[in-house]
Amino acid sequence: MTPLEFLGLSLALSLIGAFASLILGRSETLASGIASVAGVLAAASGLGAGLLSLTGPVSTLALDGPYPFAHFVLRLDPLAGLMVAVISLLSLVAWIYGLAYVREYSGRGVGGMGFFMHLFIASMMLVVTADNAFWFLIFFEMMSLASYFLVIFDEDKNAVGAGFLYFFVAHAGSVLIMAAFFLLANAAGSFDFEAFRHVSLSAPMASTVFVLGFLGFGAKAGMIPLHIWLPKAHPAAPSHASALMSGVMIKIGIFGIVKVALDLLGGGQPMLWWGVLVLAFGAVSSVLGVVYALAEHDIKKLLAYHSVENIGIILLGVGTGMIGLAEGQPVLAVLGLMAGLYHLVNHAVFKGLLFLGAGSVIFRVHTKDMEEMGGLAKTMPWTALSFLVGALAISAIPPLNGFVSEWYTYQGLFAAALSGSFLVQFATPIAAVMLALTGALAVMCFVKAYGVIFAGPSRSAHAAHATEAPAPMVTGMVVLALACVCLGLAAPWIAPVIGGIASATLGLPTTTLADGALLIPGAASTTVLSTPLIAILLLALATLPIVVKAMFSGTRIARRRSDAPWAAGYLPDIRMALTAKSFAQPIRMFFVPLYAVRKSVAGAWSHITIGFENFVCLARRTEPWADTRFVDPVTRGVTVTGRWMQVIQGGDFRIYCLYIVGALIVLLAVAAH
Amino acid sequence: MPTLSHLLLALGQALLLFAAAPLVSGLSRFERAKMHTRHGPGIFQDYRDIAKLLKRQDITPPDAGGVFRVMPIVMLATLFVIATGLPIFTRFTPLAAVGDLITIVYLFALLRFFFSLSGIDSGSSFAGIGASRELTMGVLVEPIMMLALFVAALLAGSTNLGAIGTAIADGEVRSAAATVLAGCAFAFAIYIELGKLPYDMAEAEQELQEGPLTEYSGPSLALVKWAMALKQTLVMGWFIAVFLPFGSATELSAGGLLVGLIVFVVKLFVLFGLVAIVENSVARARFRLTPQHSWLGVGAASLAFVFFLVGL
Repeated sequence: MTPLEFLGLSLALSLIGAFASLILGRSETLASGIASVAGVLAAASGLGAGLLSLTGPVSTLALDGPYPFAHFVLRLDPLAGLMVAVISLLSLVAWIYGLAYVREYSGRGVGGMGFFMHLFIASMMLVVTADNAFWFLIFFEMMSLASYFLVIFDEDKNAVGAGFLYFFVAHAGSVLIMAAFFLLANAAGSFDFEAFRHVSLSAPMASTVFVLGFLGFGAKAGMIPLHIWLPKAHPAAPSHASALMSGVMIKIGIFGIVKVALDLLGGGQPMLWWGVLVLAFGAVSSVLGVVYALAEHDIKKLLAYHSVENIGIILLGVGTGMIGLAEGQPVLAVLGLMAGLYHLVNHAVFKGLLFLGAGSVIFRVHTKDMEEMGGLAKTMPWTALSFLVGALAISAIPPLNGFVSEWYTYQGLFAAALSGSFLVQFATPIAAVMLALTGALAVMCFVKAYGVIFAGPSRSAHAAHATEAPAPMVTGMVVLALACVCLGLAAPWIAPVIGGIASATLGLPTTTLADGALLIPGAASTTVLSTPLIAILLLALATLPIVVKAMFSGTRIARRRSDAPWAAGYLPDIRMALTAKSFAQPIRMFFVPLYAVRKSVAGAWSHITIGFENFVCLARRTEPWADTRFVDPVTRGVTVTGRWMQVIQGGDFRIYCLYIVGALIVLLAVAAH
Repeated sequence: MPTLSHLLLALGQALLLFAAAPLVSGLSRFERAKMHTRHGPGIFQDYRDIAKLLKRQDITPPDAGGVFRVMPIVMLATLFVIATGLPIFTRFTPLAAVGDLITIVYLFALLRFFFSLSGIDSGSSFAGIGASRELTMGVLVEPIMMLALFVAALLAGSTNLGAIGTAIADGEVRSAAATVLAGCAFAFAIYIELGKLPYDMAEAEQELQEGPLTEYSGPSLALVKWAMALKQTLVMGWFIAVFLPFGSATELSAGGLLVGLIVFVVKLFVLFGLVAIVENSVARARFRLTPQHSWLGVGAASLAFVFFLVGL
């Protein structure tokens, strides 16, 4: 089968699953079962389509659309293939997980949930493969709408408020993207992306298109300051939908930025400041995202803020790639973009894993508040272990996958600083320091998350009596945890593939990214990394302390548990246990100015809400304008006339006789005349 | 891939440092006692302490989970891996695949992750606060470390620690002022990382009952104590490798290694002597005022960066 046939099969299965789920909505087990089976098959087939097109060649499908400008063109190039593969992998896991998880939502329209999930996944697949601006926008809207319905699924005040905010920002973004595409279409004379690729715009026009596209897609990606919707909308959705939204949907924003800046505007040379702009937004998003995450004690909000952070890290890679292209350094361009794309894949996997882990915990403890959890590692060992792998991966701990992509990002920034112009030499080391700060804060945040949820004493009755999540949910998490490990340890074999995708997107020759089991950031570099070697050394050298411990075990009394942790002579109490809030308190104390930024952004949003309310008021006033000006005078005139008529029709028959006499006189006068 | 002789050097170096680590910490105790004009314990006291603890019963708190149990082993394994990557006796990194500055910084993050997590897992509130402080110090220190090393790496043209050390030893760096400033900033960061007064925030004995270590006992405590000593040795070795590489072996030969070993011991002795002077002449800084101190490091590293930019 060709990749396109796989893609078609996947979309058809999604469509069948969507409508079957909707029609069978009465019987919830049947609906969710059929939706999941169709989803798993669709995802498997999508995975085939994605993986087959990773190394090319490009396959396209062109059909005539309903209008002359709307050719229905699907294009599976390596970049689209990567996105399709990531979407498929995550949706595969989400469907398996959802099989058990939707029980949490029974009686609240599980059929509808299946419908929107299928629609959401299918529209994401279509967005990344569409090769015509008209269809791209249609599918982009479809994706936003389907996810909007997943966000408001709870139908409480919180979810609806988050949904409104999401709807508003998504559409503001769409308008900007539309403007960018219309400018390109105007110059190209066609809505086909193929025509966009060959058009050469003047420098100011190209910059306008880039900035419009960057801000539009940036709103979808959730970069600061356009992130406000993200920490509200993602926690509101069901957890497997959050995993898809945070893991995959916001990556469509990154995909869009790469598409506009490097693919559609690829006809001309990108300008240096574009790359520096992307780098700046990336650095700010990464630091602020993780600083805000630290202050959260709602587990899903914390994870959502980490998505902001990781989008920032991906943007650092993409920005480095753009700088490399602008400066005419092909190795740097490929290295930077490859780092960004690698982190995109990695973030999809570990963020999906962490959201599913959070979902499992919420499924058992029935709260999103971390302060009510604690000690779950003893009762939910598989969930805890998977979450730990995800936490280590997102904190960029070697030898897992997050570290590999951040290492390439650092190397990209280093290479740019080594040979760039003054602006680049100034900007990239600062970005690297921001990345280091982000890394240290992320470690703190995930020690807090894992520690307060899974370690230490249980902080509530629900947590104390929790049991392991059902088998399908555990399966989903374990698959993603294994993917984290594989993407880290097999990096020397995966990096060249992603490097190939980057160079195909940029239209540049490939560069050396690995040799045997070594990772190399470009052939000219003198530094190497080997994640398999680090893993082997860690495992092998761990035996040494075990041996030392065992050597003295002969004379030792067996391990025992004490009655209580030491509490300075007082009786230990559960209220003495560490809370998420007190854990992050030093950071909140030391980084006060950074939290002020959030307040002012939230203030800007409240201005928007107030503005919207004023607009509604104005609309209410505008609507009756026609009434007061036209309808009211006419009705008033009719009433006044009516009153006059009443005077004439007094009801007295003598007056009527008088009218008749009067009329006769008038008629006689006319006749005589 | 590394050759067999490099691999043997790496493992030998890691084992030697492991074996000598309690001696380094014992020396610190010895010097401290001398400065207090106390008789104090001998320099081998830490070996005796560790041997004693290894024979005692291991007691875990009731709520502790798996992380608390495995932490001493993870901590030592990570330190061993770091020890194989640092150029200690030689100018080049024994295992280049581990000897990248970013890899080393993040391996220390792995250590910090488990060390702090074990504090929360013990269920003791003292240990939890110690964990929080340990990570906060990491947040304050890591940017200084990264900027200082990044500037040195830019001057040397490579992020490999051996390559940076070689460039500095050969005087091939473009800007001497930037190198010296970056070295100062890195030394400051290293000093905080050592966890000595005035910055012993996480394991503050009198204040937090040794922070994350509160609940450890018996063989686990022995391993953690040993690991702490190894960490201090490695952190100092890291500084020596990058900014004071003079005298280490430039190629793999028995004579060169012997000279490298002797030079390293001398440098270590002098530097820990300086640390002891600082440690014994100050009081603990207030935790909430530490950012004011760390700004000093950020300032020095930033100045080094500016000097690099203008090419002074």
